[in-house]
Amino acid sequence: MTSSDDPKQDAVKKTRKELEQFPAPVLERYEIALEKLTGRLADETCQLWAHEGLEIARKTVRSWEAAAEFFDASVDVQRQLPSGQFLKWAKTGTSLCEDSPSLAVAFFNSSPRAMLRLRPRYIDDWANVCRALYRGTWKSSALACRLFEATPDLLETLSFEEFCHFGEFLEILSRRSYDQAGDALAAGSILFPKITGDVDRFINLAQIVAEKSWRETAVLFDSATAALVELGTPHRAPLISLARRLVITGVSDAARVLRDGANTVNRVPADNRDRLLEMTDSIAAVSAPSAPEFLKIVPEILERVTFDQMGQWQAEGIKTARESEEAAVAYFKLESPSSQEMLDSLSSSIELSRVRDVIQMYSLALTGRSIDVQAAAQLTEKNIGWFQGELPTTEGTTIYMPSVINRYTTKEENFGFFKVISTHQIGHIEFGSFAFDFNIPSNLFGDLRPRLPGASELKASKKAEEASRNKTAKKPSVVIFGHEAPVEREPVTTEPAAEIKPPVFLTDMSRFFDLFKERRLALDAFTVLESSRVDGSIADLYPGIMTMYTMVREASLDSRPDVTELPAREAMIEFMIRVSLGQVDEMLVPSQHIEAALKLRKLIRQVTNVEAIVEDAAEATIRAYSILIEIKNEELDDDEFEQLEPEDEGNSGDDDDVVDHEQVIQQFMGQYSPDGEGDSQEEGSDDQEFENEGEDDYTSPQDVDYRGEFKPELSQLLSQMQMMENGEMSEGGEMQQITQEQLEEMMKNAPEMEMEQTEGEEGGDQQVSEMIENLMKELQKRDPENQQFQPGPSQHVDEDGGPLTATEPDTYTYPEWDFRANEYKPNWCMVHEKIMADGEPNFFRETLADNQGLVAQIKRQFELVIPEMYRKQKRLEDGEEYDLDAVLEALIDLRVGVSPDEKLYWRRNKNERSVAVAFLLDLSASTAEAIDEAKKPSDDWGAPDDPVEYMVWLRSRRSEGLRRTYKRIVDVEKEGITLLVNSLEALGDMYGIYGFSGYGRENVEFYTIKDLDEKFSDIVPRRIDRIAPLHATRMGPAIRHATAKLAEAEARSRFLFLISDGRPQDRGYSREGVEKEYAVHDTRQSLIEARDLGITPFCLTVDKAGHDYMKTMMEDFSYEVLSDINLLPKRLPQLYRNLTT
Amino acid sequence: MATEQKFNERNIEEYFVSDEPFYIPTSDEIDIFEAAYRQRVPILLKGPTGTGKTRFVEHMAWRLSEGLTARNPGDKALNGKGEKLPLITVACHEDLTASDLVGRYLLDADGTRWIDGPLTRAVKFGGICYLDEIVEARKDTTVIIHPLTDHRRTLTIDKLGSTIDAADGFLLVVSYNPGYQNALKDLKHSTRQRFVALEFDFPDEEREAQIIAHESGCDSETAARLARLGLKIRNLREHGLEEGASTRMLIYAGRLIKEGVSQRRACQVSVTWGITDDPQVQRSIDEVVTSIFA
Repeated sequence: MTSSDDPKQDAVKKTRKELEQFPAPVLERYEIALEKLTGRLADETCQLWAHEGLEIARKTVRSWEAAAEFFDASVDVQRQLPSGQFLKWAKTGTSLCEDSPSLAVAFFNSSPRAMLRLRPRYIDDWANVCRALYRGTWKSSALACRLFEATPDLLETLSFEEFCHFGEFLEILSRRSYDQAGDALAAGSILFPKITGDVDRFINLAQIVAEKSWRETAVLFDSATAALVELGTPHRAPLISLARRLVITGVSDAARVLRDGANTVNRVPADNRDRLLEMTDSIAAVSAPSAPEFLKIVPEILERVTFDQMGQWQAEGIKTARESEEAAVAYFKLESPSSQEMLDSLSSSIELSRVRDVIQMYSLALTGRSIDVQAAAQLTEKNIGWFQGELPTTEGTTIYMPSVINRYTTKEENFGFFKVISTHQIGHIEFGSFAFDFNIPSNLFGDLRPRLPGASELKASKKAEEASRNKTAKKPSVVIFGHEAPVEREPVTTEPAAEIKPPVFLTDMSRFFDLFKERRLALDAFTVLESSRVDGSIADLYPGIMTMYTMVREASLDSRPDVTELPAREAMIEFMIRVSLGQVDEMLVPSQHIEAALKLRKLIRQVTNVEAIVEDAAEATIRAYSILIEIKNEELDDDEFEQLEPEDEGNSGDDDDVVDHEQVIQQFMGQYSPDGEGDSQEEGSDDQEFENEGEDDYTSPQDVDYRGEFKPELSQLLSQMQMMENGEMSEGGEMQQITQEQLEEMMKNAPEMEMEQTEGEEGGDQQVSEMIENLMKELQKRDPENQQFQPGPSQHVDEDGGPLTATEPDTYTYPEWDFRANEYKPNWCMVHEKIMADGEPNFFRETLADNQGLVAQIKRQFELVIPEMYRKQKRLEDGEEYDLDAVLEALIDLRVGVSPDEKLYWRRNKNERSVAVAFLLDLSASTAEAIDEAKKPSDDWGAPDDPVEYMVWLRSRRSEGLRRTYKRIVDVEKEGITLLVNSLEALGDMYGIYGFSGYGRENVEFYTIKDLDEKFSDIVPRRIDRIAPLHATRMGPAIRHATAKLAEAEARSRFLFLISDGRPQDRGYSREGVEKEYAVHDTRQSLIEARDLGITPFCLTVDKAGHDYMKTMMEDFSYEVLSDINLLPKRLPQLYRNLTT
Repeated sequence: MATEQKFNERNIEEYFVSDEPFYIPTSDEIDIFEAAYRQRVPILLKGPTGTGKTRFVEHMAWRLSEGLTARNPGDKALNGKGEKLPLITVACHEDLTASDLVGRYLLDADGTRWIDGPLTRAVKFGGICYLDEIVEARKDTTVIIHPLTDHRRTLTIDKLGSTIDAADGFLLVVSYNPGYQNALKDLKHSTRQRFVALEFDFPDEEREAQIIAHESGCDSETAARLARLGLKIRNLREHGLEEGASTRMLIYAGRLIKEGVSQRRACQVSVTWGITDDPQVQRSIDEVVTSIFA
């Protein structure tokens, strides 16, 4: 064998030999590649190729792997490259290998696929782009490798230029975080194919984000994936450009812009989208920070106004933006009053939130009760039996309204509609729908109620009957239902039945519905009749509203289903509804039920009389039911209907009852022993019974829109609780605790629940039990007995012991007044002064935003204070001019020989306002009490004593989602303070805000929210946010401490404004008997001390029972007892003004 | 040439209520007043503005003079000099001093001259002296009336250095409005415990409708609605309104309606705008008005 024979073979052999030094795969791959390449490459090239492989392998210890990859990839790569380029490729790999073999591996590995997309002249650039990511670390190399690997896929959508940009972006980002860059790479690979055409623009945006705030890139990619993809191509580019522009100005994060923008654009009709983006652009041009706010708020705006109207709103905003950036942001956030006003004036819709206060006061005027007005959705959320989120309804104490009314084209009409639906719901309360009493006789009917048997009684008596029949053939046991004793009716008069307990009903309404077998039908009849009655009373008492009412009714009629489409019984109910809505002509009824229809119509007319009370509606229901139950619910043809003649005017006067009483009684007695059926229907078989031949299941009629949902039974239950509190339920006063079982029983039988139960078949049981639980809670909240403030477990600590010494910083000791000993206990209490922790500023902002009307009003009031500073003061010893009256008097006195008064002058006193005031807020645990209906959850007592721990505890509670939905006294205190502080800043008075609480004499906590000499700053609202109920109320020391602070203040008039929710109490401060007085007297003493120092104390309490002890505590001092805590925010500034001027 | 007298001027002692003032009693206040008068026990009328306190006093002054007393019909109450019982009304205000009630020296060409104040005149002449809204007066005035309200029945005039015994027919009647809150102004106990107190409140709907119809001359339907409006607005007391709508206010509305002003407008100007400045409360009241009146 001669080596010179074939230089090529020699070279190969040589190479082989060399390659043998490396691990086996290198040689193997070489052989495979060689075999394929031989013939395709010139020998020389082939040698150079092999040589390059060797080079690579030799580079470093690990580079043999790269060499193996190199050989591997070569076959495919060679196919796509001319030999010169092929070698260049190899060289590129080699040089990569110098940096890191893994880079080379990745390079070679992805080359075959990458070459499909990559022009050969870019190979170097490609390698460089990827290499740029490599900074000698493991992480950087991994990232570079990933980019190599991702290249083939990326290049499917990106041009090489775009790819380079992406690489640059990754490089920039990787300087901050390799992980982020890696994520971006992965996200990009997914995103880019979906947004082809806008990739470069997006990368550009991403790059800027990476430079400005690299942490946000991940979010950017996320929201881009979510938002941009959905967005149609034409709007993607402008949106991205917009985002880019905003990011450059540094005002907003791009992710949000993309997300909100895409969301908004998608919600706008297609032909307005360009316009929308233009609008945003023009906003961005004047105020960059406003643009994202605009994008975000657009959907909300469009719920109220048309797109064109929004244009006007936006134009106004731009004007604002030219004046002030801040104002513009508020404007586009819809937080500034001018913005809302503008929107209001443009929109014809009525928002509940804007008219809520008016309606609330309107309801109060009409009913004389404090009725809350809430969005209907809130009742649904409570899940206590109401399911329609947008229909008006009430549960007896609150009326629930749709959140927006946008039915008509003008504001007036929309408000008119709003007023109609509220008046109807208020009507249910005003005219006593829920005050139904089974035993009260009706005004217009012969009472049937006491003579009818209840379902449970019937069942009971039947059992008894059977039992007695089984025993002996005694005399036929006739069941008599108390004909003669209507009021005190024994449930069942037969002797054996006495063994069975008479049924207990939670409400009179339940007892009433218990009379009926088909409760659903009874409820529907009652709903129509009772609503008609309410409408009737409204028509009589409030003729002013009738124009709108009629309009609404007519609209309601138009949306009613066609009577002829309905089966007979439903058609009759529908007929009743139509009568009640005032339809007179073209009244279609089934021909065979004309008689019944006439009677039903008469019933409606009867209950519409002003004299009718809820019990009349109930009596009418019995009659309507007895008529309706006889009508089979069968399908009828159109020709089986005929028109009912309108009644003639004079005819309405006859007083005959539409039904025969005895017959009805017989009918009701027979309800449960139908002729054809056996005794199988013991329980819960109500549904199956009427599925007889040709009869449809009975379905309740569609709700009348303006009347909304009517749930008499539940509402009665809920409002009973409330009424007991107000002392309105005199005879039912000692209502026993309602048990869960009773509730379940009621819910099982309540007709108003039936529909929902059948609807939510799967998991229905669970739903029901959940609902019952909620209802239980709701009831407990309303139970006045639970509402009394019960002080925590009284750990009796000996109050003896000696004086305390303040050793720690920020602690102070004060004496306490012992009225029994008539002397001070020196250094008896220790006050710990702390600065209130910071919270969120949102509360402050939101409160101001929510109460704009009030804010403006207070501001106006306070502005009036300024002229008051120039009041004319009479009878001064010195002044501008003589007071003529005084001079005369003096002269006369001189003549008469009496010594004259020397105060002869008056002066227009430029009363420089020099006021210092300290507000002292009671933060005792009782301020956690909910206002009105709700009681604070009992687990609040588990609150840790240490305030710091308490805060942690509170936060954890909040994060657990146990959000309070009710308002506490302390919340109202906070609101009041917020509004006041806002106005005080305008007035320029010196003021401090302090909170106090504590436990025991050595732990009086005194929290500084704003010190007297502290300037108002952002921190004050944040501290206000943290105002929360703590422990007990030891007023004396807190007052003394505040007094001490005030005494140092340099002001002509100084005030101490105490806001509390009850009598002072604390351990050893207010125990039983005489000690109660102790606290009151000490507090009084501390106030006297304050007065002696020239400080005027004033006490505002929200404790309704405050009059008794306040008389003692505040004798000769001013105070006020607020009857309604909700007035506090309003009253506080008024009082402040009166007090300080 | 003497100028023609176009006005009706008379001394306060000569002010008698000669025509029967319209008054519908709500309970036994007439009997109580008469009993108190016979015993010369001073009377305190409490109640919100516009509930008929002043009208009641006028009515009683007339009634007593006419001798329509319940127990002895025809037995006229006289001023102690065999004359009719005058009614002397003083509306108290915050600048009202003791000398405004008792009297003062005036400067004359010849020197000083003493002029009796209304209270002094009532004491001397014998009659009902009615101090309206007594809490408004300065504190020193209340002290003046103390000796008049107990067994002494005397008025001390320190500037004259004299004491006057009240004429037999004299009776002091004061009124005050406990108002929405007694925080800042209240009658001192030493004062208030010298009176028999009669509480006044708004009449019930039916009576009020009668009163409105009578006083304003509007038709009974309108009067009934006005009474209903009053009732509804009073529900807002302590919830935005410091005082409920007075009957007087409703009567004014009725009068305007009688003059042809539209019902809603009449209520707006005489009730809504009069009762509050708070735009939101006004709006709410307006809604009640537009519900009741077409």
